[in-house]
Amino acid sequence: MFLAWNEIKNNKLRFTLIVGVLMLVSYLVFFLSGLANGLENMNKEAVDKWDGQGVILTEESDINLPQSSLTLDDYNGEGVDEYASLAQINSIATSDDHKSNVSIFGIDKEEFIMPNVIEGDAFAKEGEVIANESLKDEGFKLGDKLSLSSTEEDLTIVGFTNNAKFNAAPVLYTDLYTLQKVRYGKAAENYEDRINAFILRTDNLSDIEVPDELQVVDTTTFIENLPGYSEQNLTLTFMIYFLFIISAVVLAIFLYVLTIQKVSIFGVMKAQGISSSYLARSVIAQTFLLAIAGVIIGFILTMITGFFLPAAVPVAFNYLDLLVYGIVLIFVSVLGALFSIQTIVKIDPLKAIGG
Amino acid sequence: MAILEMNQVNKFFGSGHTEIEALKPTNFQAEKGELIAVIGPSGSGKSTFLTIAGGLQTPTNGKVIINEMDITSLKEKKRSAIRLREIGFVLQASNLVPFLTVSQQMQLLDKVKKHNLSAEKLKELYQSLGIEDLLNSFPSDLSGGERQRVAIAKALYTDPSIILADEPTASLDSDRAFEVMEMLKEATTKNDKTTIVVTHDTRLIDYCDKVYNITDGRLSLKQPSH
Repeated sequence: MFLAWNEIKNNKLRFTLIVGVLMLVSYLVFFLSGLANGLENMNKEAVDKWDGQGVILTEESDINLPQSSLTLDDYNGEGVDEYASLAQINSIATSDDHKSNVSIFGIDKEEFIMPNVIEGDAFAKEGEVIANESLKDEGFKLGDKLSLSSTEEDLTIVGFTNNAKFNAAPVLYTDLYTLQKVRYGKAAENYEDRINAFILRTDNLSDIEVPDELQVVDTTTFIENLPGYSEQNLTLTFMIYFLFIISAVVLAIFLYVLTIQKVSIFGVMKAQGISSSYLARSVIAQTFLLAIAGVIIGFILTMITGFFLPAAVPVAFNYLDLLVYGIVLIFVSVLGALFSIQTIVKIDPLKAIGG
Repeated sequence: MAILEMNQVNKFFGSGHTEIEALKPTNFQAEKGELIAVIGPSGSGKSTFLTIAGGLQTPTNGKVIINEMDITSLKEKKRSAIRLREIGFVLQASNLVPFLTVSQQMQLLDKVKKHNLSAEKLKELYQSLGIEDLLNSFPSDLSGGERQRVAIAKALYTDPSIILADEPTASLDSDRAFEVMEMLKEATTKNDKTTIVVTHDTRLIDYCDKVYNITDGRLSLKQPSH
């Protein structure tokens, strides 16, 4: 530590550069992690909100909610603590100049999908909805009449809830009948029992028996099969992992060049009898210091940026993830330093003193 | 009792047609309190002699014994530890770490070795070398002579039994060169060390107890000059 620290103090510029690179890499990693997390939330917020362990869908839906079509009679709640029926369609809602993608949930008010209301009231009459509060940022407000892209029916926002996005679209919660009106128009009465899924709350999902044409999926699988969800996640995760490799390699190159520059200094120290392992430990300690500094500054920058970002950017930081990624970054940086160790071990003190 | 002993030591470099015997079979002994000069032109094998004596390389044949310990067949790791304990190097190019101040050079040695000079003795050493005002300077701020004196301080700080100096006066003018030799002489006699100075500078032989000549890898004792 003694050697490492004194060298840093006396070569501020070059070590600032290294910390700078590490800072940028960690900034990018943290930001991508926030973005991945944010995008994940956008997709599954409403699913997290209903807090179920499983979903019943039709076998032929391929775990795609809009493609699953069943009736209220298909399942009677056998083997679960609680269950809720869910009908869902996607639409575009327009009010004056405001326009937004929405996902409409038709639910039974008495069942557990019914959201908390943070502003206004719960829906009571036909055509009333509780909207996700993100619509407020887009200019919608209580009492707004929403016209929908697929139907003549109008909906009215009577309340707002929070954390309710499904597949990146804000959710409008309404009763089952209103949803059927939106979906089938005048024919709604004939289809009143048509829903897309049952949401289950139970600890033993595997014990539930359903007819052959239905399937029980656990919530994780259901989320992973949301359109685009896995692809998006995979891409971002891949980028993050790649950044780990990049930071290891960049660090390795930097330290290797520095080590090569110091061959004669190391050689002189070795001639004097200072062991390779002491010098190696010093390089490791140095890398550790630089990596910690880079990661911490990167973290602070990420937080500052996150604070100033507009709400529309889907960034949500999961601090545990950031901690893990920070530790991994420090670890791979040190791994990069190991590359220089063999150079140090191989330095012949004889050459260094011109023998 | 000899502190450093070389028995039938020689060194070959290269192989086949290009093989040269840089050091011919050599017997050499150095006692405590002796200041010895090994004089020869460049390419005469004097650096080979010094580095074998200091355990920086192993001889092709023969035995090197430092302080009753045969170091000939030891691994680099062990030899490194012996160098740290027994030998102080004063090298031609200064052997200072560029990013450490004078006092930090000594602190570094504290990190890797116990039983170095006490603070009191170190202070005395600084004073006798005339560098007590330079303790917070970096090597780049020092003159060649000052650097050489710090290098001597560093070599003496670990309290070694043998000091090996490779052209310690090479970059110095005559006055400075004599000054450095005075210091080596004083350190040798006062603290009962053994100092071997390898040089091509014949002006220095007046300070030495024994003078060896080395030419074409052959070491021979010169008659005492005083």
